Amino acid sequence: MDAERNKAKGPPPREGTAKQMEGLDLESVIARARGRDAEALAEIYRRYARRVFGLCRYMLDSSESAEDATGEVFLKLQRLIESYDGAIPFPRWLLRVAGNQCIDALRRRQRGRRVIMEVGETTVIDGPSSEQSPLGAVITTEERQQVRDAIARLPENYRVPLVLRYYSELSYDEIAQQLDLQRNHVAALIFRAKQELRRKLNHGSK
Amino acid sequence: MECYSEQTCAIFVDGELGVDEAGRLRAHLTTCQRCRELVDALRAENRFLGECLHELPEEAPSPATFSRSRWSWLWGDLAAMAALLGLGSIFFVWINDLKIPEALQWLNPSGVDGITNLIFNFSYYFANGGTAMLADYAAVVGGLFLLVGGAAVLLGRRWRQQPGLRLVIVLLAMSLPSFGLERRHADFVTVAANEIVDDTLLAAGNTVRMEGVVNGDLLAFGRTLEVRGTVKGDLVSFAKRTVVSGTVEGSIYNLSESLDLDGQLGHSIYGWMQSLRVDTRGHVGDGILVGAGDISLEGDVKRSATIFAGNADVSGSIGRELTMAGGGLTLTNTARVGGNLSARVHQLKDVHIADGATIGGKRDIQVRVRESQFTRPRFYFHQAIWLAAAILVGWLGLVLFPGFFEACTQAVGLGWRSLGLGFGVLVGAPVAMIVVAITLVGLPLSLMVFAVYMVAIYLAKIWVGAFLGRMLLKPVGATKGDWVLGLLVGLVILTVIGFIPYLGGLIHLAVMCLGLGAFAWQLYGASRPASTT
Repeated sequence: MDAERNKAKGPPPREGTAKQMEGLDLESVIARARGRDAEALAEIYRRYARRVFGLCRYMLDSSESAEDATGEVFLKLQRLIESYDGAIPFPRWLLRVAGNQCIDALRRRQRGRRVIMEVGETTVIDGPSSEQSPLGAVITTEERQQVRDAIARLPENYRVPLVLRYYSELSYDEIAQQLDLQRNHVAALIFRAKQELRRKLNHGSK
Repeated sequence: MECYSEQTCAIFVDGELGVDEAGRLRAHLTTCQRCRELVDALRAENRFLGECLHELPEEAPSPATFSRSRWSWLWGDLAAMAALLGLGSIFFVWINDLKIPEALQWLNPSGVDGITNLIFNFSYYFANGGTAMLADYAAVVGGLFLLVGGAAVLLGRRWRQQPGLRLVIVLLAMSLPSFGLERRHADFVTVAANEIVDDTLLAAGNTVRMEGVVNGDLLAFGRTLEVRGTVKGDLVSFAKRTVVSGTVEGSIYNLSESLDLDGQLGHSIYGWMQSLRVDTRGHVGDGILVGAGDISLEGDVKRSATIFAGNADVSGSIGRELTMAGGGLTLTNTARVGGNLSARVHQLKDVHIADGATIGGKRDIQVRVRESQFTRPRFYFHQAIWLAAAILVGWLGLVLFPGFFEACTQAVGLGWRSLGLGFGVLVGAPVAMIVVAITLVGLPLSLMVFAVYMVAIYLAKIWVGAFLGRMLLKPVGATKGDWVLGLLVGLVILTVIGFIPYLGGLIHLAVMCLGLGAFAWQLYGASRPASTT
């Protein structure tokens, strides 16, 4: 955080207030944002836009949609920030808002159809062990990019819970609530998503 | 003990296994090497996935560029809005300065009269094929195009050298209103109850719900607009359904399917809608000037109500005059009209006034005989002048450019070819003019083309009339007298046909296209003498 703050101090700030904001801790920024302080909202944007965009980009299929969704999230934030009670860390709360925004966007796009399908006939938690072992061998930057590409190629019903779990770090319950699914469905979807990811990556490397 | 499935291990690693089962699994791990390895691998996988995901996709813009792009978007919008307002103001100034011919008054959009006239008269003009309608339309649209072209030129680097354009710049600068504008666009746009918007708010969305306070005007587009809060300025709504249960301190300008007012309105309602309802709790601080299919006035209107309605029910109170034209009018026992009541309806039985209804002034109920323009002498006088002018122009054209006028008349006989080409010219020429006008050098050219275009639109009926007359009269010779006589006959026929409802408008369009097409053929031929001789 400090490093980030120092880095942000690098270029000469345009305005005095912006400079003040950069130095403030998150709680004060949030408190001021609650009071509809435009500078504080801008500071939150500066700090978290990239992370929010990342989530939107993983969940939606194009950069444009992700940018739109990010814009919407920060527009909504002006209103929603009043409802943030500090019970969970702010970044996590913000990502939850962003996740909801993306799910809404996905739902709008596929009106009439449930975005996240249920897992089908196999909602049982216990299943046979997968033939492919967990990932972990790939480490280079290029290979990480491959993993991200593979995630992007996952079907939506696998990709969305996976991203919510490992990017937004939401619990199964929170994901279930956002996607309007049962908890064990979420568990199964995440497990399937990882299996599918392994299959894609092993398949690609062969 | 039997080993746990991979999925159970995965849930355990995610920290999502129930406390009891997690305890059992932990105990199992102490004894089972295989499961321990699996759990370790799954943990590593989770860590790895998190790391991969947190390295953002490559196209992720950095916050700096992201906000810059948002700013450029904002500036772009503001610039567009400013340009639009500026151009609009210039347009209004221009319109007001013009001595607008009577035939054009219905199109004058400055002022409420113009707007309402525009809406109400459009269908009438179209149905009656108002003779000059399309030509007038072309003139005004052409003027607009010129303005747009002018704006494009403003962006050119050498604008300072154009004295006329400097004037436009000054007008533009002076006409820029100095209010802010906030824009919100989402599926569901809300202004929360405790929120205050200091600027004019432009809200577009499926549902726009305004519960807070807007200190400026509210401009709304969408399916449903609900105003539960307070709008200090005017409300301009293009929403399909508009419900005002809060307060609008200015006026409501509404173009939507329905408008329900059960709140407080400081000034007036203007608009055109399918249904208007002023609820018993609704209060209009000024008057009402609307056209609507169904109007129900149950509430309180402080001043006059002027309504054009298929059916109007009044059970509330109107402080001054009630003026109504349309299908039916009903005043219930509770209705109160402070001033005169005047109604223009088709049949006397369409007006029901309950005994208990109070009318302060006179009752003036007129049954509108389908009075037509043909009964008025003035109409024939106008037509005669118009015809004489056209014949004079035709004769002058024939004297000054005999070959060209003759050839144009003949080219009308190309029929479909002229019609098609003419339609292309009618539609394409304005576009071409805009494109040409964008370059500074092209502006004079564009102006010239525009002048020619307008003249050609006027002359189109002369050539077609002359052709029609010749076809019918079949003169033996080809003297100027024959040509002019043919023109007279042709124009009279075209004019008469032009008054057929609906069909007349279409025929006028066809005549215009035919004439323009013939003109274009001749221009083309004249520019390539070798091919025509």
